[in-house]
Amino acid sequence: MPPIPAHEPTKPEDEKPLPFGSGYKLIGKDYSTNDLVAKVTGQSKYAEDFRAEGMLFCRLVLSPMPHGRIKSINAEKALAMPGVRGILTAAEVPGHADYINDNGTRIKADKWGELALTDEPMYQGEPILAVAAVDELTAANAIEMIEIEMEPLPFNTDPVDSLRPGSANAREDGNVWVREDGDHGREKLTSFKWTDEDFAAEKEGRMPTGKATEHWSYGDVDAGFKNAAVVLDETFLTADVSHQCLETRTAMAHWQNGKLYVYTGTQSTFQTVAAIARWMQIDEDKVVFISEYTGGGFGSKITGALTLVIPALLSKKLNAPVMMRISREEEHFIGRARPGIRARTKIGFAKDGRITAVDMFLVSDAGSYGSSGDGGACGSITSLLYQPPAMRWRNVTVATNTPPRSAQSAPGGMQAIAIIEPILSKAARKLGVDQVALRRVNCPEGKAEFGPPNPRTGKRGYTTSCFLKQALDAGAKQFNWSERAARQPKQIGSKVRGMGVSLSTYHGGSTGFDGLIMVTPQGRVQIQSGIGNLGTEAVIDVHRAAAEVLNMPWEACDIVWGDTSKHLPYTCASGGSQTTHAMTRAAHAVGLECAQRLKEVAAKSLGGQPDDYEVANLRVSRKGGGGGMSFAEAAQHAIKLGGIYDGHDVNPDVDKATQQAVTALAGQGLVASAKDKFPHDGDSYSYLACFAEVEADVETGKYHIVDYLAYADVGTVLHPAALGGQVLGRSTLGIAHAIGQKWVIDPQYGATVAKRFYQNKPPTILDVPVDMKWNALNIPDPETPVGARGCGEPPVGGGCASILNALSDALGDDIFQRTPVNADTILTSYEAGRPMQNPLLAHI
Amino acid sequence: MSDTDELKNGESPSNENPSSESTSKSITRRRFILGVIAGGAVVSAASYRFLAPHGRTYTTGERLITINVNGKPRRVDVMKQETLAWTLRYKLGLTGTKLGCDRAECGACTVTIDDVPHYSCSVLTHTVRGRKVTTIEGLAAADGTLHPVQKAVVDEQGFQCAFCMSGFIMSTVGFLKTNPNPTRSELAHGVSGNLCRCQDYTKILDALMRGAEYTRRA
Amino acid sequence: MAIIRDVMPAFDLLQPSTSADAQKLLEQCGDDAWVMAGGMDSFDWLKDRIKKPKVVVDLSGIDELKGIRVTGDGVEIGAMTTLTEIANHAEIRKNYGVLSQAVSLVASPQIRNQGTLGGNVSQDVRCWYYRDGWPCYRAGGNICYADTPVGRNREHAIFGADRCVAVHPSDSVPALIALDAKFVLQTPKGERTVDAEDYFVGPDMDITKINMLQPGDLLTAIRIPSTWAGSRFYFEKVRDRNVWDFPLMNVASAIMLSGNTIGRMRIAVNAVSPRPMRLKAVEDAVQGKPADATTGEMAGKMAVEGAVPLQFNAYKIPLMRNLVKRAIAGVPSQQA
Repeated sequence: MPPIPAHEPTKPEDEKPLPFGSGYKLIGKDYSTNDLVAKVTGQSKYAEDFRAEGMLFCRLVLSPMPHGRIKSINAEKALAMPGVRGILTAAEVPGHADYINDNGTRIKADKWGELALTDEPMYQGEPILAVAAVDELTAANAIEMIEIEMEPLPFNTDPVDSLRPGSANAREDGNVWVREDGDHGREKLTSFKWTDEDFAAEKEGRMPTGKATEHWSYGDVDAGFKNAAVVLDETFLTADVSHQCLETRTAMAHWQNGKLYVYTGTQSTFQTVAAIARWMQIDEDKVVFISEYTGGGFGSKITGALTLVIPALLSKKLNAPVMMRISREEEHFIGRARPGIRARTKIGFAKDGRITAVDMFLVSDAGSYGSSGDGGACGSITSLLYQPPAMRWRNVTVATNTPPRSAQSAPGGMQAIAIIEPILSKAARKLGVDQVALRRVNCPEGKAEFGPPNPRTGKRGYTTSCFLKQALDAGAKQFNWSERAARQPKQIGSKVRGMGVSLSTYHGGSTGFDGLIMVTPQGRVQIQSGIGNLGTEAVIDVHRAAAEVLNMPWEACDIVWGDTSKHLPYTCASGGSQTTHAMTRAAHAVGLECAQRLKEVAAKSLGGQPDDYEVANLRVSRKGGGGGMSFAEAAQHAIKLGGIYDGHDVNPDVDKATQQAVTALAGQGLVASAKDKFPHDGDSYSYLACFAEVEADVETGKYHIVDYLAYADVGTVLHPAALGGQVLGRSTLGIAHAIGQKWVIDPQYGATVAKRFYQNKPPTILDVPVDMKWNALNIPDPETPVGARGCGEPPVGGGCASILNALSDALGDDIFQRTPVNADTILTSYEAGRPMQNPLLAHI
Repeated sequence: MSDTDELKNGESPSNENPSSESTSKSITRRRFILGVIAGGAVVSAASYRFLAPHGRTYTTGERLITINVNGKPRRVDVMKQETLAWTLRYKLGLTGTKLGCDRAECGACTVTIDDVPHYSCSVLTHTVRGRKVTTIEGLAAADGTLHPVQKAVVDEQGFQCAFCMSGFIMSTVGFLKTNPNPTRSELAHGVSGNLCRCQDYTKILDALMRGAEYTRRA
Repeated sequence: MAIIRDVMPAFDLLQPSTSADAQKLLEQCGDDAWVMAGGMDSFDWLKDRIKKPKVVVDLSGIDELKGIRVTGDGVEIGAMTTLTEIANHAEIRKNYGVLSQAVSLVASPQIRNQGTLGGNVSQDVRCWYYRDGWPCYRAGGNICYADTPVGRNREHAIFGADRCVAVHPSDSVPALIALDAKFVLQTPKGERTVDAEDYFVGPDMDITKINMLQPGDLLTAIRIPSTWAGSRFYFEKVRDRNVWDFPLMNVASAIMLSGNTIGRMRIAVNAVSPRPMRLKAVEDAVQGKPADATTGEMAGKMAVEGAVPLQFNAYKIPLMRNLVKRAIAGVPSQQA
């Protein structure tokens, strides 16, 4: 039986950090993952590395204007060129259709949804046409022979401007997303404007506010402000930041025996099949998806990318494999980005720094397609991370003619932390409270509540556990916060130093997925993994939980991943840091199931009861000695026994897809499958305390990060090196928002002008300290068997905000009210002797 | 398509043998005749050797040359405007070299040419004749023994998605030839022409510093 | 016609092995030819399919254009010498350190391994409208997209604008101007030598050009006289990211000191104007003054007189003032 998680309220102060790996043979230990040798030798295949006989190349034509309608396309000359095989237009792409989701619910077609090619582009850079030829050069030459006549339509690239009376809407049928029938209805686009009076605040350099389309509140917000020692009312703008995965969303496709084979990057191998089937409007069993290695996702490739239908459709049309290489510039347009949020936030503080109330008004830029959940997450993360006793949240989600947004590591959470933390820092200075101390009094703990009360139950959601206070204390100690803070002077010559601390959190996991293991007659333990391979190593690491239960050497495990024709189990989408939590649970469950079946096989063959046996070192042995069999023998026996033992009968608990995978493996070994049905009280979140020191040169506006530490509360540490990569990698993703990554758009033409790395500025190795530091508490989460939570998203907000806080510590309050913060902002304000930034002016 | 169809530039493919390469940079070659240039430069199509093995071997503007890759002479059709990254990936099947930006600003395509790191996306293949090109596939020994830097990356679980990895490793291998005993900061500068979007820079430097150590010991 | 900003179009590739041959070829090909040194600027234009030359003349096989020669009067650097070689050259480091410092801050190691001094000084502007193929003045059109009330011009000019507000992006040029370098050109009429600052062309002279090279001209070498050898140098580059990025601004200076008094000085600033700016007035004004903060502040104020900021680049005025100050007085290290 699995260990039953505790249900009593957690007492965080009783929990003690453990050395990594204590009590385990595999979990918490460093090892080299099974995919590394292929990576270092260049043998690992990413989408563009696959080749097929007779492969054609396709290239895209992008919209030159931010909103327009195609009147005509004349490709006659292009099609007549030698080597040109065909074109694909929007008319040939399957349109919007209803589909059935995982729960069997019919989801109505979304007429505002994005398609792979369009006749009415909603942003400059949107694909409108594809050309396939024998090689890329021919395709490119052909594109320049195509005449496209377009009618320009009104556009708007600025969400606040879009709310101004009389301003242009992004679409002919509206500019703002609203829910039909209250909170649970579908979202629809409508025309929504504020009044001129609403815009009066703009003249004072503050974000204007007006009617909101979404809102919630709890507690007595007005009383909170009335009782506050300090009330701050701040405007802040977070930047739109592209994911810019190093591997673009290149895709290759071919058809064979009526099946579509797609090769592209994804975060979630198993889950991508359903997406492809939906986009192509074909059955899932007609899709084979291959994604062995993916060059980065960060939320932009949760189920691959919609544009993969272009090579898939061209391949069908031209009866040849088609490779669609996506260029870096194309990736800038179609590769997704984090939505920028404009925020007006009022926070009341008691004398000791405890927050008394939060009033948050957001304008979220959803870009050209779909609504965005970031505004909502921004509200709920704020309520969790700073535990305001009273909070009001309002939001307007605006469509603009800018590239499409999607989730990006810590969607909404990152923005929340970037918006709130500088206000906390300012309050601490006003109140004379130490920055760490102010965070400590507001820090969540244990089964911390968050969000508004559920309208049905009247109860607020709560977390599984939270030991952030311990992480904050341990981090402050490791960072020598007090000693550094006491150090004087802050300024030497033109160089001024500042320190920042930030809390951070995000979702840390989901539940209810399946594990699938086959013990082969050769005695190998083959573990089927439906997780995408992004190099976070979740694809492999989580299965250590199964091997741990089987008490076996890791070297005898083979992980099967990256190809849906290889029978993969029902697996979570790798987004929102679900995977480590969800799939260690599934792995633990299937490990227990496998051990149980092995014991049953042994008992049936050698006599006695299953419980008389134990599993260790690739053997099933009688407890206390006296016979047993190897895994290889057990697998051979399982095949003879058939039924539930070799997959001919299927565990009815598992998902349909897992059942199909079991059936496909039947007869090849001892096949065990299991669903995660472990209890789980609360929502899983992970937490970090992040610390930074910066040094700025007030004569040049240049600054650099002197030191950085992220201290994590992510439950049990599964694989220290991989976790370190996540903690510091995603910290740096957040830091990038503070130090430079951005979009530059000319609003007059609705055109992106920064399409190159040297223009949109992802951080280089010399833009962060060469020895960033991380640590983890390693306190198991009490609500999950292995105790591990996810850590992809949680560091991002803290990475960004610790830098912002350090900067304002160094430079003073109000120098910046927008990310990123660069030399121009710092110098302009210094020169004027007062804050000079117009916070609402984005995309500079 | 017959070979004669391909000779409209007046340039005989039969001249393009290795022995003539030493003179191929000479101004005396007839491709400098302006009329030829005007006639041949615009219409061109790349042949794709893996995909069309029975198709044409020459197209207008292409040339058969020999380049030294990973210690072996490789004879290959190369368009005049073709980059080394393209030749490696699409003509020689060496897909370990990645195209991350194709604009000299990510480093995923880094290879060494005569032991010096270069962005292969920004080198014309025709300019590397007579020079020694090494890619990620050329680092390990014939028996599969990993290069010390590769071994270090495996030992340290360096990198995440690894799309940038071959470029980083090639930069490191090249850098260590000139500075075998770098400080962490020096090595960071050495590999600063490589971008990692997983931004796992600290663990990358851990692995590459270990690589420097292994290389010194090897 | 539809546009694609990828895949280099075909061209013929000419690979001369002597500079005389190269010059002759360029003369023959005239406007059809594109000169490629390291290619770091060229490839952008070609891959974006904005420039489609019929012929590319590749200079990488011309050994006589490579290398650094210590002469009786300073050093001569072949135009095809890589920036890495210059950065590491002992004599340049010893006596002309402002140049090794400048070139070691260019772009990235791989770019410095391939990029050449000739290419670095001859590169085109980086205005994102112009580089993206918008039909602006510099591209032969009749509009500037950057100089509008909402045009994105954070990186653009505060001096020398004449319809075009792009800035010269080179890091090596201010150092070469400070060293009073001479550029050696082979032209159809024979060899010609020009002062570093005269090599560059502003929009007032020819808006579509960035330097004086005519079709058929070839930059073969840059000579640095020994005049300023071992003097007190200053170089600083301010950029957003510490790798790859072009300067928001850079400054280079050479000062001959007697005691702490400035005898003579040369100073140049780049990324402030379409042409690299030598600050002649500052050079004259500081002569005979102590090399201290007071002189530096005076010089800084003088340097920015007449600056005209655009919508998003007013920060360049204090930046230039401070960099010029530092070029004279150094980075302040005292407690404020």
